[in-house]
Amino acid sequence: MEAPSTTAQIDSAVTASDGQAGKSRTPSWEQGRRHGQRWLVQLGGYGATIFALVTINFLVPRMMPGNPVDALAAQGSTNFTFGKQGQAALARYYGLDRPLIAQYGRYLSQLAHGDLGHSIISNAPVGADLARRMPWTLLLIGTSLLLATAIGLVAGVQSGWHRGRSVDRSLLTVLLSVREFPTFLLGSLLLLFFAVKLGWLPVSGAETAFSSPGLGGRVVDIGRHLLLPAFVLSVGLTAGSFLIMRAGMVNELGADYLLWGRAKGLRQRRLKYNYAARNALLPVVSLTALQMGFVVTGDVLIERVFSYPGVGNLIFQSINSRDYPTIQGAFLFVAVSVITANALADLLYRRLDPRTSS
Amino acid sequence: MSVVEVGATPSRRRRARPSVLMVMGGAVLVLLVVVAVLAPVLAAHDPKAISGPALEQPSARHWLGTDIPGRDIYSQLVYGARASLVVALVGGSIAMAGAILVGVAPALLGGWADSLSARLVVFLLALPGLPLLILIGSLAGNSRLALIMVIGFIGAAPNARILRSQTLSLRQRGFITAARGFGGGPLYVLRRHLVPGLGPLIVVGFVNWAGVSIGLEAGLAFLGLGDPTGVSWGMMLNRALSQPGIYYSSMWTWWVLPAGLGIALAVLGFTFVGVGLEPTFNPRWLRAS
Repeated sequence: MEAPSTTAQIDSAVTASDGQAGKSRTPSWEQGRRHGQRWLVQLGGYGATIFALVTINFLVPRMMPGNPVDALAAQGSTNFTFGKQGQAALARYYGLDRPLIAQYGRYLSQLAHGDLGHSIISNAPVGADLARRMPWTLLLIGTSLLLATAIGLVAGVQSGWHRGRSVDRSLLTVLLSVREFPTFLLGSLLLLFFAVKLGWLPVSGAETAFSSPGLGGRVVDIGRHLLLPAFVLSVGLTAGSFLIMRAGMVNELGADYLLWGRAKGLRQRRLKYNYAARNALLPVVSLTALQMGFVVTGDVLIERVFSYPGVGNLIFQSINSRDYPTIQGAFLFVAVSVITANALADLLYRRLDPRTSS
Repeated sequence: MSVVEVGATPSRRRRARPSVLMVMGGAVLVLLVVVAVLAPVLAAHDPKAISGPALEQPSARHWLGTDIPGRDIYSQLVYGARASLVVALVGGSIAMAGAILVGVAPALLGGWADSLSARLVVFLLALPGLPLLILIGSLAGNSRLALIMVIGFIGAAPNARILRSQTLSLRQRGFITAARGFGGGPLYVLRRHLVPGLGPLIVVGFVNWAGVSIGLEAGLAFLGLGDPTGVSWGMMLNRALSQPGIYYSSMWTWWVLPAGLGIALAVLGFTFVGVGLEPTFNPRWLRAS
């Protein structure tokens, strides 16, 4: 993650090719080059966004009220042994007594070396903390996205194809109603009902601690822990992909190729899924990327509700203890993931829809 | 290809019959407003004052029992409606004001202002919402107003995108060029074509974001990022759920459930009204072509 240097490289690359462009005699080559340039400009934009986020990430935790040394020495913490001198020594040890600009420089250079710093609370490298929790978050988010996109697509195809009929109306009503329903509330209610009252599913965590079942048993155990959080997280997402898919289908409905297909005697099902849906699928790609921000929002809340040991819970804990390096690392990780997802979606979109690049 | 076909015919629509959803949502919102306005009358105690022993069961004196320092939960519930309504109105207004500022105005002006604002919107959309809220929320040091403003600010980007595309599509439509050609001034075009064309989208956007704001604020309060002395449903949930083993006692039925229901109803009320408004404002929404 060498955001600053990458940005500079991209910027200089863009200006360099800007200076040369314009006098070529091979149009196709020239065209290819223009594509490349626009591409670079866009990548540069993403790079600039990441750089801005790096800076925000550095500044904001330091502007927050409270500081980690106080949190370490707070009453009730096991470390409540530091006097004034001890606190000063701690601040010096972590470099918190140096001017802001020096801290920033150190932060950037560490970042360039792939070092996210040491957590002040857990005293472990932030990168290691993140890496330990990342698989759980990826599992949760991945499952939810997959589930939501699949259900949303099918529902959207049905709804759009049968626009105005009762299927459409009921799907619209249900999905739009649940779309904005607060995830943490839904999570708490389901947790209470299925885990506490009925006892069907585990109450918290990602797997049963201190148990050593075989591989199959472990998979089942993880699945049981994953079921509720993944479901809750996918509720809002489903509505998103549903709406986009539906709008896409509605747009395709009057198209000539559908009429032609019908005239050829194609089955309804084939027309619906292989013809209309295929063309309406494009915007869902960019939506799925845009939803990354939304997923992250849900993820932090859901992981808190279910005490899921992922990055979201780490963010929550590190904010409560003002653990600067962890906050920075976690936010950077989240922000870079979201932006990378957006950039990838841009690329994919270009591949899928040649019209956007010409 | 135009996304939304509104405003093309300024005549009154025939299908103005409000849907069931709309009526339900409207009723919930009316209830919310009534409770919020009449809070001092409806509440039995000062929601911030200690009015009995801590963690009491529901009784004639405390209809929903008391919380940890001994404050009346029912009174907190009543005053929480006020907090939620303020969040909804302020959050929705800021989001739409921002959306008009970066979405509509530059699209009307065109040129560099338009391309700049389009880039700004893309940048804002790429920002992860809640982490940003958490960062700024902690920075603001439990100031509710700052939190609500950030919630509104986050809503500006997605709404700006919608308003921008509609403005651009309106601008290209023949009737505006015609109105200009016949000597209609900018104010005439604004009143006669842009307001009818954009107004419905702005209203729907406002209603939707008002609902989202309530959910977001409650979520932040639930995480512990709210005014600890304030009275809101999210804060009630935060306090209730931080009691160890709350789910295993019956306490949750008069502490967690009412606050949760309050949030759920308020959010659903706004959502239903938004969903109900959509077909009236956007005829292509349901009608088969």
